[in-house]
Amino acid sequence: MFPKLDPILHSELRLAVMSILAGADEADFTYLKKQTGATSGNLSVQIDKLTTAGYITVEKGFKGKMPRTTCKITLAGQNAFSSYVEALKEFLSAGNVR
Amino acid sequence: MEQNKEMTAQESLQLISESFNKSRKDILRNSAKYFVLWGALLTVTSLAIYLLWHLTGKPQWNFLWFVMPVIGYPLAALIGKHNKTIPQNEVSKMLGGVWSVFGAFAITLSAIAVSLVPMHVTLIIVIIMGLAECMSGVLLKNWPIIIAGFLLGVGGAVFAILVKSEAQLLVFTLGGVLLLVTGLIMKLQYK
Repeated sequence: MFPKLDPILHSELRLAVMSILAGADEADFTYLKKQTGATSGNLSVQIDKLTTAGYITVEKGFKGKMPRTTCKITLAGQNAFSSYVEALKEFLSAGNVR
Repeated sequence: MEQNKEMTAQESLQLISESFNKSRKDILRNSAKYFVLWGALLTVTSLAIYLLWHLTGKPQWNFLWFVMPVIGYPLAALIGKHNKTIPQNEVSKMLGGVWSVFGAFAITLSAIAVSLVPMHVTLIIVIIMGLAECMSGVLLKNWPIIIAGFLLGVGGAVFAILVKSEAQLLVFTLGGVLLLVTGLIMKLQYK
């Protein structure tokens, strides 16, 4: 049986964002957009959802004269991400393919 | 990328793995540029000083070493500015830390040796350079870089003791080539 997965993470774009942030200290919006190939609007919505869930923090600032939005994974986000990966591995190791 | 696509367990794991590895490669490929920059600069500077010293017989050409950070740091800042969206991870930060500490030791000891207490700077710097290269290899989990760093530190130390005057500078040329090669290995490894 497919384990109960975190609905916040079980979405293609949000999962991609979390995977990038899990491997980096922080990433800015432009980088996430380029890596995921998402539109600015869609990415903003998904980032808001992750922020509301407490999985990431968003900091708006400037680098030089350019505005910069930086996203960073929180401890709660790291824990949720680890649990999600563990659940997937458990499911697959039980011989399931879907 | 769609946010509502129903993913299978395999697709989810594949997405995680791809996204994670892609950003890791970006980060480490970016770090490689600094190895190439400092490697090229060290090779050119050491060779230039060696040739000038050899041709004129004047060790004062060693003051050109202080030009290296003057050129290198602004160029490194330029690379950083150009790639400002690429994030950092623990490995890239530690690599930066290891080489910044090496730079601080090398510049300070050289300045002290020139102005206050004469010492065998080549010997000291080649040992800490080999150590920094070894540490880089450990962080990158790359055995050829670890071995090259070890050989540079140990072999360079022996070379620095056995060889006199300007010929000692060639150990830094070797170190520069090693940094360049490390950068190129990283570029290939994280292509």
